[in-house]
Amino acid sequence: MSEKKSRRGFVKTVGVGVGGLIVGALAGTAIAPMMTPPPPKAKFADPPPSGSTVIHGMDAAYPPFTQIDPSGNAVGFDVDVVNMIAKKYGWQVVHKPWDWSTIITAVQSGDLDFVASGMTETAARSEIAWFGVPYYSFIHQLIALATDTRTRDQILNSNSFIACQTGATSDEWATKLLAAGYTFQKLGLDSYELAFEAVTDGRAVAVISDSAFTGPYFKTQPDQAAKFRVVSTIGGDATYGYATRPGDFGLRNQINQALEGIMGTTDWQSLRDKWNV
Amino acid sequence: MTAFAEFLPYILSGMVWTLGLVAGGVGIGFVIGLFMAIGQIYGGNEVKAIIHAYVWFFRSIPLLVLLFLFYWGVFPATGFKLDPLACSIVVLGLRSGAYQSQIFRGGIMSLGDTQLLAARALGMSQMRGIFHVVLPQALRISMPGWSNEYATMIKDSSITFALGVLEILTRTRYVVNATHEPLIPYFFAGGLFLVLTYAGTKAVNIVYERTKIPGLVGRL
Repeated sequence: MSEKKSRRGFVKTVGVGVGGLIVGALAGTAIAPMMTPPPPKAKFADPPPSGSTVIHGMDAAYPPFTQIDPSGNAVGFDVDVVNMIAKKYGWQVVHKPWDWSTIITAVQSGDLDFVASGMTETAARSEIAWFGVPYYSFIHQLIALATDTRTRDQILNSNSFIACQTGATSDEWATKLLAAGYTFQKLGLDSYELAFEAVTDGRAVAVISDSAFTGPYFKTQPDQAAKFRVVSTIGGDATYGYATRPGDFGLRNQINQALEGIMGTTDWQSLRDKWNV
Repeated sequence: MTAFAEFLPYILSGMVWTLGLVAGGVGIGFVIGLFMAIGQIYGGNEVKAIIHAYVWFFRSIPLLVLLFLFYWGVFPATGFKLDPLACSIVVLGLRSGAYQSQIFRGGIMSLGDTQLLAARALGMSQMRGIFHVVLPQALRISMPGWSNEYATMIKDSSITFALGVLEILTRTRYVVNATHEPLIPYFFAGGLFLVLTYAGTKAVNIVYERTKIPGLVGRL
Protein backbone atom coordinates (compact mmCIF):
# COMPACT_ATOMS: atom_id res chain seq x y z
CA MET A 1 0.00 0.00 0.00
CA SER A 2 2.77 2.41 1.02
CA GLU A 3 4.75 1.38 -2.07
CA LYS A 4 1.73 2.24 -4.20
CA LYS A 5 1.43 5.56 -2.41
CA SER A 6 5.07 6.42 -2.90
CA ARG A 7 4.87 5.46 -6.58
CA ARG A 8 1.82 7.70 -6.92
CA GLY A 9 3.74 10.47 -5.18
CA PHE A 10 6.67 10.04 -7.52
CA VAL A 11 4.44 10.13 -10.58
CA LYS A 12 2.71 13.21 -9.19
CA THR A 13 6.02 14.99 -8.58
CA VAL A 14 7.32 14.16 -12.04
CA GLY A 15 3.97 15.22 -13.52
CA VAL A 16 4.08 18.56 -11.72
CA GLY A 17 7.68 19.08 -12.79
CA VAL A 18 7.02 18.31 -16.45
CA GLY A 19 3.79 20.32 -16.37
CA GLY A 20 5.68 23.24 -14.82
CA LEU A 21 8.31 23.10 -17.53
CA ILE A 22 5.67 23.06 -20.28
CA VAL A 23 3.73 25.94 -18.70
CA GLY A 24 6.98 27.84 -18.15
CA ALA A 25 8.09 27.31 -21.74
CA LEU A 26 4.70 28.43 -23.09
CA ALA A 27 4.62 31.45 -20.80
CA GLY A 28 8.20 32.31 -21.75
CA THR A 29 7.36 32.12 -25.44
CA ALA A 30 4.31 34.30 -24.91
CA ILE A 31 6.11 37.01 -22.97
CA ALA A 32 9.33 36.91 -24.98
CA PRO A 33 8.22 39.64 -27.42
CA MET A 34 7.24 41.83 -24.47
CA MET A 35 10.63 41.26 -22.85
CA THR A 36 12.52 42.62 -25.82
CA PRO A 37 13.30 46.20 -24.90
CA PRO A 38 12.13 48.72 -27.46
CA PRO A 39 15.01 50.34 -29.29
CA PRO A 40 15.73 53.70 -27.68
CA LYS A 41 14.78 56.81 -29.58
CA ALA A 42 17.67 58.62 -31.13
CA LYS A 43 19.40 60.60 -28.41
CA PHE A 44 21.50 62.72 -30.72
CA ALA A 45 19.48 63.01 -33.93
CA ASP A 46 20.74 66.60 -33.87
CA PRO A 47 24.36 67.44 -33.08
CA PRO A 48 24.98 67.31 -29.32
CA PRO A 49 25.27 70.89 -28.08
CA SER A 50 28.36 72.09 -26.25
CA GLY A 51 28.34 70.88 -22.65
CA SER A 52 26.44 67.67 -23.50
CA THR A 53 27.54 64.48 -21.81
CA VAL A 54 28.46 61.85 -24.39
CA ILE A 55 29.22 58.30 -23.22
CA HIS A 56 32.11 56.61 -24.98
CA GLY A 57 32.02 52.81 -24.67
CA MET A 58 35.35 51.05 -24.62
CA ASP A 59 36.91 47.69 -23.99
CA ALA A 60 39.50 48.53 -21.36
CA ALA A 61 41.30 45.31 -22.21
CA TYR A 62 42.34 46.26 -25.74
CA PRO A 63 45.72 48.00 -25.64
CA PRO A 64 46.93 50.19 -27.18
CA PHE A 65 43.57 51.39 -28.50
CA THR A 66 41.73 51.41 -25.17
CA GLN A 67 43.17 50.49 -21.80
CA ILE A 68 43.59 51.92 -18.31
CA ASP A 69 46.55 53.60 -16.63
CA PRO A 70 47.69 52.86 -13.06
CA SER A 71 45.24 55.47 -11.74
CA GLY A 72 42.37 53.69 -13.45
CA ASN A 73 41.91 56.40 -16.08
CA ALA A 74 41.05 55.44 -19.64
CA VAL A 75 44.00 55.87 -21.98
CA GLY A 76 44.94 54.70 -25.46
CA PHE A 77 44.90 55.73 -29.08
CA ASP A 78 41.10 55.78 -29.36
CA VAL A 79 40.74 57.57 -26.02
CA ASP A 80 43.09 60.34 -27.16
CA VAL A 81 41.18 60.78 -30.41
CA VAL A 82 37.81 60.81 -28.64
CA ASN A 83 39.14 63.44 -26.22
CA MET A 84 40.24 65.59 -29.16
CA ILE A 85 36.79 65.29 -30.75
CA ALA A 86 35.06 66.11 -27.46
CA LYS A 87 37.32 69.13 -26.94
CA LYS A 88 36.49 70.43 -30.41
CA TYR A 89 32.75 70.40 -29.68
CA GLY A 90 32.85 71.14 -25.95
CA TRP A 91 31.32 67.79 -24.99
CA GLN A 92 31.76 66.20 -21.58
CA VAL A 93 32.92 62.75 -22.56
CA VAL A 94 32.62 59.82 -20.19
CA HIS A 95 34.91 56.88 -21.02
CA LYS A 96 32.93 53.88 -19.87
CA PRO A 97 34.59 50.44 -19.81
CA TRP A 98 32.24 47.73 -21.01
CA ASP A 99 32.50 44.00 -21.62
CA TRP A 100 33.24 43.47 -25.30
CA SER A 101 30.74 40.66 -25.79
CA THR A 102 27.76 42.98 -25.10
CA ILE A 103 29.16 46.35 -26.10
CA ILE A 104 27.07 46.73 -29.28
CA THR A 105 23.91 45.78 -27.37
CA ALA A 106 24.82 48.50 -24.87
CA VAL A 107 24.88 51.08 -27.66
CA GLN A 108 21.53 49.82 -28.87
CA SER A 109 19.99 49.95 -25.40
CA GLY A 110 21.30 53.45 -24.69
CA ASP A 111 23.87 52.54 -22.02
CA LEU A 112 26.57 53.88 -24.31
CA ASP A 113 26.36 56.56 -26.98
CA PHE A 114 29.10 55.24 -29.22
CA VAL A 115 31.95 52.74 -29.26
CA ALA A 116 35.47 53.77 -30.22
CA SER A 117 37.61 50.84 -29.19
CA GLY A 118 39.18 49.23 -32.19
CA MET A 119 35.85 47.97 -33.47
CA THR A 120 35.87 46.27 -36.86
CA GLU A 121 33.07 47.25 -39.20
CA THR A 122 31.12 44.09 -40.02
CA ALA A 123 27.79 43.45 -41.70
CA ALA A 124 26.37 41.80 -38.58
CA ARG A 125 27.28 44.76 -36.35
CA SER A 126 25.99 47.22 -38.94
CA GLU A 127 22.52 45.75 -38.55
CA ILE A 128 22.47 47.13 -35.01
CA ALA A 129 24.88 50.05 -35.07
CA TRP A 130 25.96 52.34 -37.87
CA PHE A 131 29.65 53.01 -38.32
CA GLY A 132 31.36 56.29 -38.96
CA VAL A 133 34.27 56.85 -41.32
CA PRO A 134 36.91 54.10 -41.23
CA TYR A 135 40.02 55.31 -39.46
CA TYR A 136 42.31 52.31 -39.30
CA SER A 137 42.83 49.32 -41.59
CA PHE A 138 44.36 45.97 -40.78
CA ILE A 139 44.25 42.32 -41.75
CA HIS A 140 43.46 39.09 -39.93
CA GLN A 141 46.24 36.59 -39.47
CA LEU A 142 46.85 32.99 -38.49
CA ILE A 143 49.79 33.03 -36.08
CA ALA A 144 51.61 29.99 -34.70
CA LEU A 145 54.78 29.32 -32.74
CA ALA A 146 57.94 30.12 -34.66
CA THR A 147 59.01 26.50 -34.19
CA ASP A 148 55.85 25.20 -35.85
CA THR A 149 56.71 24.71 -39.51
CA ARG A 150 53.33 23.46 -40.67
CA THR A 151 51.40 25.18 -43.44
CA ARG A 152 48.16 27.07 -42.94
CA ASP A 153 46.02 24.13 -44.11
CA GLN A 154 47.91 21.64 -41.98
CA ILE A 155 47.30 23.76 -38.87
CA LEU A 156 43.65 24.42 -39.72
CA ASN A 157 43.09 20.68 -40.28
CA SER A 158 45.04 19.50 -37.24
CA ASN A 159 41.97 18.87 -35.02
CA SER A 160 43.82 20.95 -32.41
CA PHE A 161 42.64 24.06 -30.61
CA ILE A 162 43.08 27.42 -32.30
CA ALA A 163 42.56 30.41 -30.03
CA CYS A 164 40.66 33.61 -30.76
CA GLN A 165 39.03 36.43 -28.80
CA THR A 166 35.39 35.72 -28.00
CA GLY A 167 33.03 38.16 -29.69
CA ALA A 168 35.80 39.67 -31.83
CA THR A 169 36.14 39.35 -35.58
CA SER A 170 38.74 36.62 -35.05
CA ASP A 171 35.91 34.62 -33.46
CA GLU A 172 33.81 35.22 -36.58
CA TRP A 173 36.69 34.10 -38.77
CA ALA A 174 37.13 30.92 -36.76
CA THR A 175 33.44 30.17 -37.23
CA LYS A 176 33.65 30.88 -40.96
CA LEU A 177 36.69 28.63 -41.38
CA LEU A 178 34.96 25.80 -39.50
CA ALA A 179 31.89 26.23 -41.69
CA ALA A 180 34.19 26.03 -44.73
CA GLY A 181 35.17 22.53 -43.63
CA TYR A 182 38.41 22.97 -41.70
CA THR A 183 38.81 20.59 -38.81
CA PHE A 184 40.30 22.50 -35.89
CA GLN A 185 38.62 23.28 -32.56
CA LYS A 186 37.88 26.85 -31.56
CA LEU A 187 39.18 28.09 -28.22
CA GLY A 188 37.41 31.37 -27.45
CA LEU A 189 39.21 33.47 -24.83
CA ASP A 190 38.66 36.81 -23.20
CA SER A 191 41.38 38.72 -25.04
CA TYR A 192 44.04 38.31 -27.71
CA GLU A 193 46.59 38.50 -24.93
CA LEU A 194 45.17 35.33 -23.39
CA ALA A 195 44.93 33.71 -26.83
CA PHE A 196 48.70 34.11 -27.28
CA GLU A 197 49.29 32.84 -23.75
CA ALA A 198 47.24 29.76 -24.64
CA VAL A 199 49.62 28.96 -27.48
CA THR A 200 52.76 29.41 -25.39
CA ASP A 201 51.15 27.24 -22.68
CA GLY A 202 50.37 24.51 -25.21
CA ARG A 203 46.60 24.79 -24.90
CA ALA A 204 46.28 25.88 -28.51
CA VAL A 205 48.46 25.50 -31.59
CA ALA A 206 47.73 28.86 -33.18
CA VAL A 207 45.89 32.17 -32.80
CA ILE A 208 43.57 33.88 -35.21
CA SER A 209 44.40 37.51 -34.54
CA ASP A 210 44.49 40.80 -36.35
CA SER A 211 47.40 43.01 -37.25
CA ALA A 212 45.83 45.93 -35.37
CA PHE A 213 46.54 44.03 -32.17
CA THR A 214 49.62 42.03 -33.07
CA GLY A 215 51.49 44.99 -34.62
CA PRO A 216 51.66 47.10 -31.43
CA TYR A 217 51.71 44.00 -29.21
CA PHE A 218 54.79 42.53 -30.83
CA LYS A 219 56.49 45.94 -30.96
CA THR A 220 56.14 46.35 -27.21
CA GLN A 221 56.72 42.67 -26.42
CA PRO A 222 59.82 41.64 -28.43
CA ASP A 223 60.28 38.48 -26.33
CA GLN A 224 56.79 37.37 -27.20
CA ALA A 225 57.24 38.39 -30.84
CA ALA A 226 60.30 36.16 -31.15
CA LYS A 227 58.19 33.13 -30.19
CA PHE A 228 55.66 33.51 -33.00
CA ARG A 229 55.42 33.67 -36.77
CA VAL A 230 52.62 34.74 -39.07
CA VAL A 231 51.56 31.61 -40.93
CA SER A 232 49.22 33.38 -43.32
CA THR A 233 46.74 36.19 -43.65
CA ILE A 234 43.02 35.46 -43.51
CA GLY A 235 40.52 37.33 -45.66
CA GLY A 236 41.03 40.84 -46.96
CA ASP A 237 41.55 44.22 -45.36
CA ALA A 238 39.25 45.18 -42.51
CA THR A 239 38.68 48.60 -40.98
CA TYR A 240 37.91 50.09 -37.60
CA GLY A 241 35.11 52.61 -37.20
CA TYR A 242 33.11 54.32 -34.45
CA ALA A 243 29.81 52.50 -33.82
CA THR A 244 26.79 54.70 -33.14
CA ARG A 245 23.02 54.23 -32.89
CA PRO A 246 21.44 54.37 -36.38
CA GLY A 247 19.19 57.30 -35.44
CA ASP A 248 21.98 59.44 -34.00
CA PHE A 249 22.70 61.26 -37.24
CA GLY A 250 23.84 64.42 -35.45
CA LEU A 251 26.40 62.66 -33.28
CA ARG A 252 27.72 60.54 -36.14
CA ASN A 253 28.11 63.51 -38.50
CA GLN A 254 29.94 65.53 -35.88
CA ILE A 255 32.29 62.62 -35.11
CA ASN A 256 32.94 62.00 -38.79
CA GLN A 257 33.75 65.65 -39.48
CA ALA A 258 36.08 65.90 -36.51
CA LEU A 259 37.74 62.57 -37.26
CA GLU A 260 38.39 63.45 -40.89
CA GLY A 261 39.81 66.76 -39.73
CA ILE A 262 42.17 65.10 -37.25
CA MET A 263 43.27 62.47 -39.77
CA GLY A 264 44.35 65.26 -42.11
CA THR A 265 46.75 66.76 -39.58
CA THR A 266 50.16 65.79 -38.25
CA ASP A 267 48.52 65.07 -34.87
CA TRP A 268 47.20 61.86 -36.33
CA GLN A 269 50.63 60.48 -37.14
CA SER A 270 51.91 61.70 -33.78
CA LEU A 271 49.17 59.74 -32.05
CA ARG A 272 49.95 56.65 -34.11
CA ASP A 273 53.60 56.94 -33.20
CA LYS A 274 52.76 57.51 -29.55
CA TRP A 275 50.69 54.36 -29.33
CA ASN A 276 52.62 52.25 -31.86
CA VAL A 277 49.57 51.68 -34.03
CA MET B 1 56.26 43.13 -11.60
CA THR B 2 57.14 46.85 -11.47
CA ALA B 3 54.33 47.62 -13.88
CA PHE B 4 51.92 45.58 -11.80
CA ALA B 5 52.97 47.37 -8.60
CA GLU B 6 51.82 50.66 -10.13
CA PHE B 7 48.37 49.16 -10.64
CA LEU B 8 48.05 47.82 -7.09
CA PRO B 9 45.92 50.70 -5.76
CA TYR B 10 43.61 50.33 -8.75
CA ILE B 11 43.00 46.64 -8.06
CA LEU B 12 42.73 47.19 -4.31
CA SER B 13 40.05 49.83 -4.80
CA GLY B 14 38.02 47.10 -6.49
CA MET B 15 37.52 45.66 -3.00
CA VAL B 16 35.14 48.51 -2.23
CA TRP B 17 32.99 47.52 -5.19
CA THR B 18 33.18 43.83 -4.33
CA LEU B 19 32.20 44.50 -0.72
CA GLY B 20 29.41 46.80 -1.93
CA LEU B 21 28.06 44.02 -4.13
CA VAL B 22 28.26 41.53 -1.29
CA ALA B 23 26.77 43.83 1.35
CA GLY B 24 23.92 44.82 -0.95
CA GLY B 25 23.30 41.29 -2.18
CA VAL B 26 23.46 39.65 1.22
CA GLY B 27 21.32 42.44 2.73
CA ILE B 28 18.56 42.17 0.15
CA GLY B 29 18.82 38.40 0.30
CA PHE B 30 18.51 38.45 4.09
CA VAL B 31 15.23 40.37 4.04
CA ILE B 32 13.79 38.28 1.20
CA GLY B 33 15.09 35.02 2.65
CA LEU B 34 13.77 35.67 6.14
CA PHE B 35 10.25 36.48 5.05
CA MET B 36 10.20 33.62 2.58
CA ALA B 37 11.35 31.18 5.24
CA ILE B 38 8.51 32.34 7.50
CA GLY B 39 6.07 32.10 4.62
CA GLN B 40 7.27 28.65 3.67
CA ILE B 41 6.73 27.31 7.17
CA TYR B 42 3.75 29.24 8.48
CA GLY B 43 2.07 30.44 5.28
CA GLY B 44 -0.92 29.01 3.45
CA ASN B 45 -0.67 26.63 0.55
CA GLU B 46 -0.75 29.43 -2.05
CA VAL B 47 2.06 31.33 -0.31
CA LYS B 48 4.09 28.14 -0.04
CA ALA B 49 3.59 27.38 -3.72
CA ILE B 50 4.68 30.87 -4.78
CA ILE B 51 7.77 30.77 -2.58
CA HIS B 52 8.59 27.29 -3.78
CA ALA B 53 8.41 28.50 -7.40
CA TYR B 54 10.60 31.52 -6.57
CA VAL B 55 13.24 29.39 -4.86
CA TRP B 56 13.14 26.84 -7.66
CA PHE B 57 13.54 29.58 -10.29
CA PHE B 58 16.48 31.40 -8.71
CA ARG B 59 18.31 28.27 -7.66
CA SER B 60 17.98 26.64 -11.07
CA ILE B 61 19.26 29.40 -13.36
CA PRO B 62 22.95 30.24 -13.62
CA LEU B 63 23.87 33.60 -12.13
CA LEU B 64 25.27 34.90 -15.41
CA VAL B 65 21.99 34.14 -17.18
CA LEU B 66 20.06 35.91 -14.40
CA LEU B 67 22.30 38.97 -14.71
CA PHE B 68 21.80 39.21 -18.45
CA LEU B 69 18.08 38.39 -18.17
CA PHE B 70 17.45 41.18 -15.69
CA TYR B 71 19.87 43.75 -17.13
CA TRP B 72 18.95 43.36 -20.79
CA GLY B 73 15.42 42.00 -20.46
CA VAL B 74 13.36 42.37 -17.32
CA PHE B 75 14.35 45.84 -16.13
CA PRO B 76 14.26 47.58 -19.53
CA ALA B 77 10.94 45.89 -20.32
CA THR B 78 9.41 47.13 -17.08
CA GLY B 79 10.73 50.65 -17.51
CA PHE B 80 13.33 50.49 -14.71
CA LYS B 81 16.71 51.04 -16.22
CA LEU B 82 19.27 50.25 -13.55
CA ASP B 83 22.99 50.78 -13.99
CA PRO B 84 25.17 47.65 -14.00
CA LEU B 85 26.15 47.95 -10.33
CA ALA B 86 22.58 48.44 -9.06
CA CYS B 87 21.28 45.67 -11.29
CA SER B 88 24.01 43.31 -10.10
CA ILE B 89 23.20 44.03 -6.45
CA VAL B 90 19.49 43.42 -7.03
CA VAL B 91 20.10 40.17 -8.92
CA LEU B 92 22.61 38.92 -6.35
CA GLY B 93 20.07 39.80 -3.65
CA LEU B 94 17.14 38.08 -5.37
CA ARG B 95 19.20 34.96 -5.89
CA SER B 96 20.69 35.02 -2.43
CA GLY B 97 17.18 35.39 -1.01
CA ALA B 98 16.30 32.02 -2.49
CA TYR B 99 19.31 30.37 -0.86
CA GLN B 100 19.03 32.22 2.43
CA SER B 101 15.36 31.28 2.73
CA GLN B 102 16.40 27.63 2.86
CA ILE B 103 19.07 28.34 5.48
CA PHE B 104 16.57 30.16 7.71
CA ARG B 105 13.92 27.57 7.01
CA GLY B 106 16.27 24.87 8.28
CA GLY B 107 17.00 26.98 11.38
CA ILE B 108 13.32 27.51 12.15
CA MET B 109 12.41 23.87 11.55
CA SER B 110 15.21 22.65 13.79
CA LEU B 111 13.41 24.33 16.70
CA GLY B 112 10.27 22.26 16.22
CA ASP B 113 6.73 23.43 17.03
CA THR B 114 7.13 23.60 20.76
CA GLN B 115 8.69 27.05 20.97
CA LEU B 116 5.85 28.67 19.10
CA LEU B 117 3.29 26.66 21.05
CA ALA B 118 4.86 27.84 24.30
CA ALA B 119 4.76 31.43 23.07
CA ARG B 120 1.11 31.04 22.15
CA ALA B 121 0.41 29.50 25.55
CA LEU B 122 1.88 32.65 27.11
CA GLY B 123 -0.66 34.69 25.19
CA MET B 124 1.50 35.89 22.31
CA SER B 125 0.04 36.21 18.84
CA GLN B 126 1.49 33.94 16.16
CA MET B 127 3.45 36.83 14.56
CA ARG B 128 4.78 37.97 17.90
CA GLY B 129 5.77 34.44 18.76
CA ILE B 130 7.61 34.06 15.47
CA PHE B 131 9.48 37.36 15.73
CA HIS B 132 10.20 37.35 19.48
CA VAL B 133 10.68 33.68 20.27
CA VAL B 134 11.32 31.61 17.15
CA LEU B 135 13.48 33.93 15.01
CA PRO B 136 15.96 35.01 17.69
CA GLN B 137 16.84 31.35 18.19
CA ALA B 138 16.54 30.27 14.57
CA LEU B 139 18.82 33.05 13.34
CA ARG B 140 21.51 32.04 15.80
CA ILE B 141 21.25 28.43 14.68
CA SER B 142 21.42 29.54 11.04
CA MET B 143 24.60 31.52 11.39
CA PRO B 144 27.13 28.83 10.43
CA GLY B 145 25.14 28.04 7.30
CA TRP B 146 24.69 31.72 6.65
CA SER B 147 28.46 32.30 6.69
CA ASN B 148 28.64 29.90 3.73
CA GLU B 149 26.27 32.19 1.90
CA TYR B 150 28.61 35.10 2.53
CA ALA B 151 31.58 33.10 1.20
CA THR B 152 29.58 32.06 -1.86
CA MET B 153 28.48 35.62 -2.48
CA ILE B 154 32.04 37.00 -2.32
CA LYS B 155 33.07 34.59 -5.05
CA ASP B 156 29.89 34.94 -7.12
CA SER B 157 30.23 38.72 -7.13
CA SER B 158 33.12 38.38 -9.56
CA ILE B 159 30.76 37.24 -12.30
CA THR B 160 29.42 40.80 -12.52
CA PHE B 161 32.52 41.57 -14.59
CA ALA B 162 30.27 40.55 -17.48
CA LEU B 163 28.33 43.79 -16.97
CA GLY B 164 31.51 45.80 -16.52
CA VAL B 165 31.08 46.35 -12.78
CA LEU B 166 34.50 47.51 -11.61
CA GLU B 167 34.99 44.89 -8.90
CA ILE B 168 38.25 43.04 -8.29
CA LEU B 169 38.17 40.66 -11.26
CA THR B 170 37.15 43.29 -13.82
CA ARG B 171 39.99 45.55 -12.72
CA THR B 172 42.44 42.66 -12.68
CA ARG B 173 41.48 41.79 -16.23
CA TYR B 174 42.16 45.34 -17.37
CA VAL B 175 45.50 45.34 -15.57
CA VAL B 176 46.49 42.03 -17.17
CA ASN B 177 45.93 43.55 -20.58
CA ALA B 178 47.68 46.79 -19.72
CA THR B 179 50.76 45.09 -18.26
CA HIS B 180 50.86 41.98 -20.48
CA GLU B 181 51.36 40.01 -17.29
CA PRO B 182 48.61 37.52 -16.34
CA LEU B 183 50.13 35.42 -13.56
CA ILE B 184 50.82 37.94 -10.80
CA PRO B 185 47.63 40.02 -11.16
CA TYR B 186 45.34 36.98 -11.17
CA PHE B 187 47.28 35.43 -8.31
CA PHE B 188 46.92 38.66 -6.37
CA ALA B 189 43.19 38.84 -7.15
CA GLY B 190 42.80 35.28 -5.90
CA GLY B 191 44.59 36.30 -2.71
CA LEU B 192 42.22 39.22 -2.21
CA PHE B 193 39.19 36.96 -2.53
CA LEU B 194 40.79 34.54 -0.10
CA VAL B 195 41.38 37.30 2.46
CA LEU B 196 37.87 38.70 2.07
CA THR B 197 36.31 35.26 2.42
CA TYR B 198 38.41 34.36 5.44
CA ALA B 199 37.85 37.70 7.17
CA GLY B 200 34.10 37.64 6.56
CA THR B 201 33.50 34.08 7.68
CA LYS B 202 35.71 34.67 10.71
CA ALA B 203 33.66 37.74 11.62
CA VAL B 204 30.41 35.76 11.29
CA ASN B 205 31.90 33.02 13.47
CA ILE B 206 32.84 35.55 16.15
CA VAL B 207 29.28 36.89 16.15
CA TYR B 208 28.00 33.32 16.31
CA GLU B 209 30.25 32.47 19.26
CA ARG B 210 29.11 35.54 21.13
CA THR B 211 25.43 35.11 20.48
CA LYS B 212 24.94 31.35 20.58
CA ILE B 213 22.64 30.02 23.21
CA PRO B 214 24.04 27.57 25.77
CA GLY B 215 22.33 24.22 25.45
CA LEU B 216 21.04 24.89 21.97
CA VAL B 217 22.38 23.26 18.79
CA GLY B 218 26.17 23.26 18.60
CA ARG B 219 26.67 23.91 22.29
CA LEU B 220 26.29 21.07 24.74
